[in-house]
Amino acid sequence: MLSKILQIVTPYEAPEKVCVMGNEAVARGAIEAGVRGVFAYPGTPSTEISEAFKHVSTFQNAPDRRKEFPKLTADPLYFEYSVNEKIALEKAIAYAIGNRNALCCMKNVGMNVASDALMTITYQTIGAGLVIIVCDDPGCYSSSNEQDSRYWGKMASVPLFCPATPEEARSMTKDAFRLSRELLLPVIVRMTTRVGHARNIVYYGPIDTGIQPPKFEKLPQHINIPARTAAAHKNLIDKLSGKVVTEALHQHAVSRLPEKQNGTKNKPVSLGIIASGVAAIYAHEILQSPEVRDRVGLLKLGLVHPFPADEVSNFLRQDFERILVLEELEPFIENEVRVLAQKRGLRIDILGKGFAGLEATGEYNIDIVSTALAAFTGLLLSAYNRSGLPCAEKYLESLPNRPPALCPGCPHRSTFYALKLAIPRRDSQIVLCGDIGCFGLGALPPLQMLDTIHHMGMSISMAQGLAEAFRSKPQGEKFVALVGDGTFFHSGVAGLLNAVYTRANVLVIIFDNRTIGMTGRQDHPGAPGQSKYREINLPALVKGMGVDYVETFNPLDLQDSFTKLSNALTHEGVAVVVAQSPCLLIPAVKANISKDSMIRVDHSLCNTCHNQKDHELYCAKITLPKSGLAKARAKQVAGEHIPAKEQACPANICNHGFFSAILAGDYKEALDIVRDKMLFAKVCGDICHKPCESLYRENGGPTVPIRQLKQFVSDIEENSRDFTIQKRRISNVEPKQQRIAVVGAGPAGLSAAYDLLQQGYAVKIFEKEDEAGGLLTYAIPDFRMDKKGCAAEIAQLKALGVEFQFNSCLGEDIDVSQLAEQFDALIIAIGMGVYPTLDVIENNVGETSKFTAVSFLRQYNLKSLAVKPASSIFVIGGGNSAIDAARTAKSLDPANEVMLSCIETLEEMPAFAEEIAHAKAEGVQLICNSNVTVCKTDADGRISISLDCFTEKSHLQELRCDYVITAIGQRGDETTVAGARLKLDSSNRIVTSAATGQTNLRNVFVAGDISAENHISLIGAIASGKKAAVGVRQLLENYDFAYEGHVALNRLNTSENNFASKPQKNGKFSALQVIEEMPAFELFQACEKCNHCIDNFGCPAMIKVNGQVEIDDQLCTRCGYCIDVCINDAIHWREVRADVLPLLPVEVLNGSSV
Amino acid sequence: METNKSKKMLIAGVGGQGVVYLTNLMVEAAMLADVAVATSEIHGLAQRSGSVIAAMTFGGNAYGFVETGGADFLLGLEPLEAQRCLPFLNPQSQVVIDDKRIFPYSVNAGTATYPDTAAFVAYLQKNIARVIFNQDFAAGLDAILRNVHLLGRASGLPGFPVQPQYIEQALSQSTKSSYSQQSLQAFQAGQANEKNN
Repeated sequence: MLSKILQIVTPYEAPEKVCVMGNEAVARGAIEAGVRGVFAYPGTPSTEISEAFKHVSTFQNAPDRRKEFPKLTADPLYFEYSVNEKIALEKAIAYAIGNRNALCCMKNVGMNVASDALMTITYQTIGAGLVIIVCDDPGCYSSSNEQDSRYWGKMASVPLFCPATPEEARSMTKDAFRLSRELLLPVIVRMTTRVGHARNIVYYGPIDTGIQPPKFEKLPQHINIPARTAAAHKNLIDKLSGKVVTEALHQHAVSRLPEKQNGTKNKPVSLGIIASGVAAIYAHEILQSPEVRDRVGLLKLGLVHPFPADEVSNFLRQDFERILVLEELEPFIENEVRVLAQKRGLRIDILGKGFAGLEATGEYNIDIVSTALAAFTGLLLSAYNRSGLPCAEKYLESLPNRPPALCPGCPHRSTFYALKLAIPRRDSQIVLCGDIGCFGLGALPPLQMLDTIHHMGMSISMAQGLAEAFRSKPQGEKFVALVGDGTFFHSGVAGLLNAVYTRANVLVIIFDNRTIGMTGRQDHPGAPGQSKYREINLPALVKGMGVDYVETFNPLDLQDSFTKLSNALTHEGVAVVVAQSPCLLIPAVKANISKDSMIRVDHSLCNTCHNQKDHELYCAKITLPKSGLAKARAKQVAGEHIPAKEQACPANICNHGFFSAILAGDYKEALDIVRDKMLFAKVCGDICHKPCESLYRENGGPTVPIRQLKQFVSDIEENSRDFTIQKRRISNVEPKQQRIAVVGAGPAGLSAAYDLLQQGYAVKIFEKEDEAGGLLTYAIPDFRMDKKGCAAEIAQLKALGVEFQFNSCLGEDIDVSQLAEQFDALIIAIGMGVYPTLDVIENNVGETSKFTAVSFLRQYNLKSLAVKPASSIFVIGGGNSAIDAARTAKSLDPANEVMLSCIETLEEMPAFAEEIAHAKAEGVQLICNSNVTVCKTDADGRISISLDCFTEKSHLQELRCDYVITAIGQRGDETTVAGARLKLDSSNRIVTSAATGQTNLRNVFVAGDISAENHISLIGAIASGKKAAVGVRQLLENYDFAYEGHVALNRLNTSENNFASKPQKNGKFSALQVIEEMPAFELFQACEKCNHCIDNFGCPAMIKVNGQVEIDDQLCTRCGYCIDVCINDAIHWREVRADVLPLLPVEVLNGSSV
Repeated sequence: METNKSKKMLIAGVGGQGVVYLTNLMVEAAMLADVAVATSEIHGLAQRSGSVIAAMTFGGNAYGFVETGGADFLLGLEPLEAQRCLPFLNPQSQVVIDDKRIFPYSVNAGTATYPDTAAFVAYLQKNIARVIFNQDFAAGLDAILRNVHLLGRASGLPGFPVQPQYIEQALSQSTKSSYSQQSLQAFQAGQANEKNN
């Protein structure tokens, strides 16, 4: 750095050859011309110019440097970053009026801000040289427009230079000072990105060290009043046509005519090019091609306003047939050439914009210019006619772009993230008006938190203007202005003043990163890095302007930023929130980053969704990205944090997606997430024993009432009927040739069919009854579930294409071996057909007075049950069937006396606790720990029963009843599978592989109660049907994933039914209450498809290695914010100890194992 | 090849990777070697982890611009960015690519696919004069040293515009002396690596 500074301030008697950027050469040119004061506002592509002066000024003012380099620091130049370009130019004008050479420097659009000052000073006068550098940006690499600033020369009637190379940037800037001093008029040097950022050989020369004593002459020209302006205008025009300018025009118009070739006439020089700026350099390089070397003349214009009419006229008179004008952007010179030709009566073809791909937009390059020159000359330029490598297109198509992004650890990203959580964007009632600066990158993915970006400082005016436009609309749209600290001081401050004064209703968020970040850390009034500047306290300034709601937060504190932003959004009137945290590029901040700790992603918490393996499966994430946001928001506000793995479903329903969809208010989406994995959303909402809610809770506590929510979402009739997604999936999937038979149309068989159908299989279901549903239809009483809803869900299967064959009983009408042969796979899901009874009942009770639970419930459901009113009914058994039968018996007639005897104690009863509670509440008398010892039918037809205490073997009680219902367990019916050589267990249930439901016969699978593995419950049956479907897929297609719900299902299978007896808080909630209180809960475990951190936060230090999120230690700034962002709590700090190497091997970070 | 024809080179990478550093180093080296040098760089927004491509020319009558098919050399600090420069290559081009893949955001987010680097390198091997695919290098090199190492490998290519000794001289002149020693070693290791191949 020091060597560069020394180089730029050292006078050289002999030309010193250096290789520098065009922008540095501008600075050197000004220094050589004796500039004393520099006033600038940073902006790409001009920044390197002002930065050079900043460094020089720091150098020349540093006491130790002054001691070390007395000569080079003898007359230190003054430099400042003014608050904006207008102030910069005004101050530069004043500095020059004070008789000291001034330079004012800005980017293209900065000139628009400064133009008010420019447009009047030309009518007045200055005392010393004043040069304005304005840097255009053809191609808009870093600018909000592509304006051609050459017109400012014309507009303001000042001389305007267009350097084409770094060396010209130096010499023309120097000459601009000379001209300015002689004319007492500002002179513009107009650069472009390509010239300013090109680096080439430049020759540094002597420095004008002439003394410029401060002086103010009280001249009438300093007072601009209308009476003088007309005369002043004429004076200005005269200046431009005077000798000084005429000579300069001549000096800076360089023509190059090929030498006449030994008098040969066959190659007449008949073509001429007039060019300016970098276009002239492209032309110059291309004209060295042998084909055109001797055939084209070139006139390069350096001073383009006023127009060098004589020089161009002389060039045009060289007997050219055609003239091509080469200039980037507008046809500024071309139009002048055409006017000149017309004025001077020159008949010549003039080509320019529109010729052979020469456009008024974008940047020129060698390719564009060589194409134009080939067309212009009609010659093939062999060096520029390369066709490229073969098939290159193939390697160029669909290359991912690499747009710029906020730096790793940038506090702006954090503010946007908090805003994302605070603002419910989907209703689009909140409009985010952005501004210019680094934080404008928030408009791009993944943040996408800006709706408008215009020009410097517009955001606050934009928000208040829109708010005004919407004032008549009663419903609360909110308009938010987002502005960086630099931009706020540049021009936003006036907009805020206007908002306060006009009583606007806007929220202004100031992204205060303590510097002007975009252009590489420049000072501004709110954050001076240099001691010579004084800091303006931003919040105090805002308060002083009359804003009554002012909050400040550190964006790296998510909780605080979220809360303050949320509150500010509800404020009526002008609210200002300052998000204050320094840019990490500030050296002092950067130096403070401690690498003693690292941040690590715990993959056991990150990608733990058991859906992850089957990417064909529908995922909540695919259609509902905002569910991740709902989850993230819940993480900030919820009182209860429940890992979703503690609310897992054996049927593999994505409960966190489901819950998040409800949080996001999208009930259809929530239902679709359930339906994605199973048909029976409504049925489960009614009768599932909800192991998800409590079985997996490790530390107890409240749970999210999944079942009630399921009921709530499936009760929305129009959603419940809508199977569009399933239909679409079936029509999109490639139909498979294999056919699957399912025997038994209960929940297990129907669930298997539902999954296989959606994978493209043809499924035929055989059912012994004449209706589908199994126990759902024939056993579950109607007061427990909505029978019509259940029938409607089952009916959908037929609509989706499953074939049903009713009245086909396995073992009678059809058999296992035959089906296994006719179909590619067979799933047996017939339930258990044998219902044992007690001998003491069987032998002593008449046929019309005794039932099994299944026969009782079946007759009830078929409405064929004949039970006398006000009768006594005695139920034997402690399982769910017994409870169902008892409750049904009670429901028949409130006058019925219903007694239930079981051998278990109340706590040990296998029935679901919830059901037992219902039964008790309804008046069923429970006689636990009892068994029937004597039973006889009396003469009056009633039945006398004697009960013993089961454990004590002592007599308990006598009772009388009219009916006995036995419900003491079920067994498989071995006759149904006779002859198939299937392995059976002691209850005649079929033995299967635990992983797939596959039997000892290769293509025969078992699901539901008849499977020895099964948990006797609705969700157990559904899950086992799904598992069998996976088994079938493994057998028939290239599918090698395990059943994704296996973790929850295994746990269910090994659990007792009675687990739910633990107290549960959610029991008291109604579904609507639950919806209202939803933010009280959070299920915060997501899945591989979660990607929440990447999709919504996207810090560049978060990289994907082998599909998993990792933190790149080299990029990570240890802000730790991602720890708060992760909705799975999977990101943690890890201390680095000397003896522990980083967990992530270097080569992983280097990408070689990608 | 015409002796007085200028040599053209591209250096491509991701913002922050060191494209500008390498360009500056090559400028220094060329000045020491008294080779006319010019560059053209894309700055501005590209600094924020965007694509950066620097063009350099060595020898007279050139201004730092590289046209389609005009690159004699390509130094790719990142494979995707190297691939983006494909239009500038011709059958005589010589290319050095570092296998340091940096995923753009779209790839991390799963909305775009990172190109198959191996296929691209194989394609280059078939279609241009020479390809060095830098896969093995000493672990623990920081980004800058890694780039210098890569330059070391490139500097031995036939017709490379600046002699290695001048690059070494430029490296030695860099201000932080301990670092310049390290970078000198990285450069020489790169050269040795190439000689051994």
